[in-house]
Amino acid sequence: MTDLNSIDCDLLVIGAGFAGMVAAARASHLGLRTVLAGNSGSLIFVSGLMDYLGVYPMDAKGVLDDPAQGLACLQSENSTHPYGGISHEQIIQCFEFVKWILGKEGLAYHLSPGRNLPVLTAMGTFKPSFMVPRTMEKGSLLFGEKKRLLLIDIKGLQGFSARQAAGGLAKTLDEVICLTVEIPGITKTIPPIILAELFEDPGVQESFVRQVLPFSNRVDIAGMPAVCGVHDSLGIQQKIEKMTGLDLFEIPGIPPSIPGLRLKNAFEKRLAALGVKFLSNTRIKDPVFNGGKFIFTGVTDSGKLSISAKGAVLGIGRFFSKGLNAGRDKIMETLFQLDVRQPVTRSLWHGTNFLTRQGHKINQAGIETDQRFRPLKKGGQPVFPGLYAVGSILAHNDWMRLKSGSGVSLVSACTAVDDFYQGVTKAKI
Amino acid sequence: MGKTIETQVLVIGGGATGTGIARDLALRGVKVALIDKSDLNAGASGANHGLLHSGARYVSSDAEAAMECRSEGLLLKQIAPHCIEETGGLFVAVPGDDEAYIADFPRMCEASGIPCRPLDLKDAMGMEPCLSQDLIAAFEVSDAAIDPFKLSIENLNDALGRGGEYYDHSCLEEFILEHDKIAGARVLNTKTRETFLIKADIYVSATGAWAGRVASCAGVNIPMVYSKGSLLVTGQRMATRVINRLRQASDGDILVPGGVVSIIGTTSVRTDSLDKIFPSVDEVDLIINQGKQMIPALGNRRYIRAYCGVRPLVSAGGDGDRSLSRGFSLLDHAGDGVDNFITITSGKLTTYRLMAEKTSDMVCEKLGISSACMTRDLALPQTAGGKWTEPGVSLRQGAFSHKKEDHTLCECEMVPASAIDSIVSSIRKNSGKPDLLSIALRSRLGKGPCQGSSCSVRVLSHLYDRGEMTGTEGVDGLRRFLNERWKGEHALLWGTSLAQSSLKEMIHCGLFSLELESGE
Repeated sequence: MTDLNSIDCDLLVIGAGFAGMVAAARASHLGLRTVLAGNSGSLIFVSGLMDYLGVYPMDAKGVLDDPAQGLACLQSENSTHPYGGISHEQIIQCFEFVKWILGKEGLAYHLSPGRNLPVLTAMGTFKPSFMVPRTMEKGSLLFGEKKRLLLIDIKGLQGFSARQAAGGLAKTLDEVICLTVEIPGITKTIPPIILAELFEDPGVQESFVRQVLPFSNRVDIAGMPAVCGVHDSLGIQQKIEKMTGLDLFEIPGIPPSIPGLRLKNAFEKRLAALGVKFLSNTRIKDPVFNGGKFIFTGVTDSGKLSISAKGAVLGIGRFFSKGLNAGRDKIMETLFQLDVRQPVTRSLWHGTNFLTRQGHKINQAGIETDQRFRPLKKGGQPVFPGLYAVGSILAHNDWMRLKSGSGVSLVSACTAVDDFYQGVTKAKI
Repeated sequence: MGKTIETQVLVIGGGATGTGIARDLALRGVKVALIDKSDLNAGASGANHGLLHSGARYVSSDAEAAMECRSEGLLLKQIAPHCIEETGGLFVAVPGDDEAYIADFPRMCEASGIPCRPLDLKDAMGMEPCLSQDLIAAFEVSDAAIDPFKLSIENLNDALGRGGEYYDHSCLEEFILEHDKIAGARVLNTKTRETFLIKADIYVSATGAWAGRVASCAGVNIPMVYSKGSLLVTGQRMATRVINRLRQASDGDILVPGGVVSIIGTTSVRTDSLDKIFPSVDEVDLIINQGKQMIPALGNRRYIRAYCGVRPLVSAGGDGDRSLSRGFSLLDHAGDGVDNFITITSGKLTTYRLMAEKTSDMVCEKLGISSACMTRDLALPQTAGGKWTEPGVSLRQGAFSHKKEDHTLCECEMVPASAIDSIVSSIRKNSGKPDLLSIALRSRLGKGPCQGSSCSVRVLSHLYDRGEMTGTEGVDGLRRFLNERWKGEHALLWGTSLAQSSLKEMIHCGLFSLELESGE
């Protein structure tokens, strides 16, 4: 084991989900020598919507119109939520950073000027979000405006029915028409990723337009599943809009998510351009902190390598991404064995109603940090000076109920990296 | 007041006994209507091991019940082989188990006429490699696995084919009493909120744990006690045979195969409540900790579901002649001042047919009909609608999967669209309204490792495309489905099950925001 390949860097970002991607982008943007390790495949499970805060408090009636108002409420309660020490302006700056990074790779996002955006889902429900792909932007204008809507589904695409998405809209809109479009040559089930790639074919686009065109005088706007191309989705959408004379928007649904795939692609390209070393499918283990530096072992299919870093950002996710692991009686963090804030017994983890608005206590479990996102020891001191935890692994954030997942991820990632950067530059001076 | 339905016999309760009575009476030419406040097997019939007892389980506690199990088990293997897997069974003991009981076991089996073969311990472990290396005794018996859902569906389908009627989600509101009789039953359809009247000559309550409540509508008191029992479903099948712990009946001591999964249980917890009961975390841990003594792998196995039922026990008032057997309670309420009212409760799944026969005999006697029971000899027909209840069934049958344009909607359990369509049409035929719950009841939908995360959405969009659903019915039904499945999940979420359930929550709360309008 003496001749391990070794890498030296300023910052190792562990976990290539959304939070890890943002952290790596931020770090390399600031000029830090950055290594990212993890599996970016998990982005296929994210909707592509970036929420700020959609609900607060959890038992409030309805959703937040203005997330800043929810933030003010959260902070006035001295909440332990990860947003507890962050101002609205800081949060917006973090959103703008992510928008800018993705925009560099042609993945355009629409950042709300202040209000939460109601996003129509494949289930016909509305989800409050804050920064949405431009390809979904026009859908959020539906709410409150009387419009005539065409909802399109695609033969062979499972889990998306225009009639279902239209389910609750008849009350709000003047007219809702449902249309099933057939893609030439597709008679059976088609996986969303293949379908999205087909949409890049001008022949498929023309066939789509031909079937939609007869409705262009009867409706003002058309919604379709989020499969409108993998690359340059906005360009394809604008082309179809021009050909049909209709405003178009995409509707998010069950994974695998094409907007998530677009995020993965855009991040990977940008990080490569920024010089981040991306160790995809490398499992990080055996962290050692020695002489002001971390030493990790990276394990791949073909061998091992040694990574030394001045700092580390832990964005390894929760149970689904295996950042946390639950035995029958205890929840553990899987890399550093950090203390996990959690309910005292398993019988308290979950309530008996799955869809409770109050959420399940286990969703509040996670890593407790200071306001700079450094994990804490029992005594309240940081575990290591250069170790940060970001994203969904953080405690006190039931992001599924609060609609705050991406927001907390990108805010914690940016804040943590900025703090580390300041520490490094101070040390240099 | 809505329509009035006239029939000879109204059977209340669509479990194994109720559907069994419906078929038995229909075969005798009696006109019968069956109602259930929920749907088939909503009570203990749907919440048990699916074990067709050899009888060996009861040789010590109840020799009569043991013999009934033995003879009924043999009979059911003849008349309903498509509902049964003849797995065989083992009784095994581990260190610490009562040695006197072990020593006495072969003699007790013999006394009840139950075949039982002592096994060399090495052979037993060779037959079932999952067994503990520390076994101290093993016997082979003729236990089998039975699919209680298929059984009830097939009994119902045969009854329907012979002129019977079935009304699901039809809840008894009140009995209209006149003199010493029930003159009618007022019934509420809980889905449409319509009320209707059923007038029958005889009223039979086959409502299991709810027998006391139904009887009280007729002014009759049945003192009952309730015992909740919980069971766990493993992600994979653990053994070929049924495996019983060789000791007095206790917690976590029977493992029964059910297609591609296994079921371990049970517990016994006194409860006052019949509604809103869940398997608790404590029960789950008790079952696992007990079960792993005989099958160590149960300690680290992935569990995909927990469920529980309530055993209805009529508290014995020393009135031995009121029940025909200690195994079940058949009560003629003429003695309570209601001439045309019968209750059948307690008993075991294994003896459901006998219970149906005895009840139907009593009904016919009251009606003055002399036709004899035919379920002893006439095979239970196999229908298409009963095909999709068994775990992993399509893996073996593959009958639907090769058709053109037929696609898989539930990937864990390989349920194709054509199966959903045939289930939907059988529900429609019964003038029912299909939703995820009623489809899941008749199929394996949502019972695999993904816990219904995405198959639910795929099935819904399929139903919308077929015009089977409109408006917000889909999302409303989805909420009910997810909350119903959750009852069987929340107590066993750790390891990969927790990871899977968190994906489900991400999709349905995180994205679809179903909790925001769940009308809590």
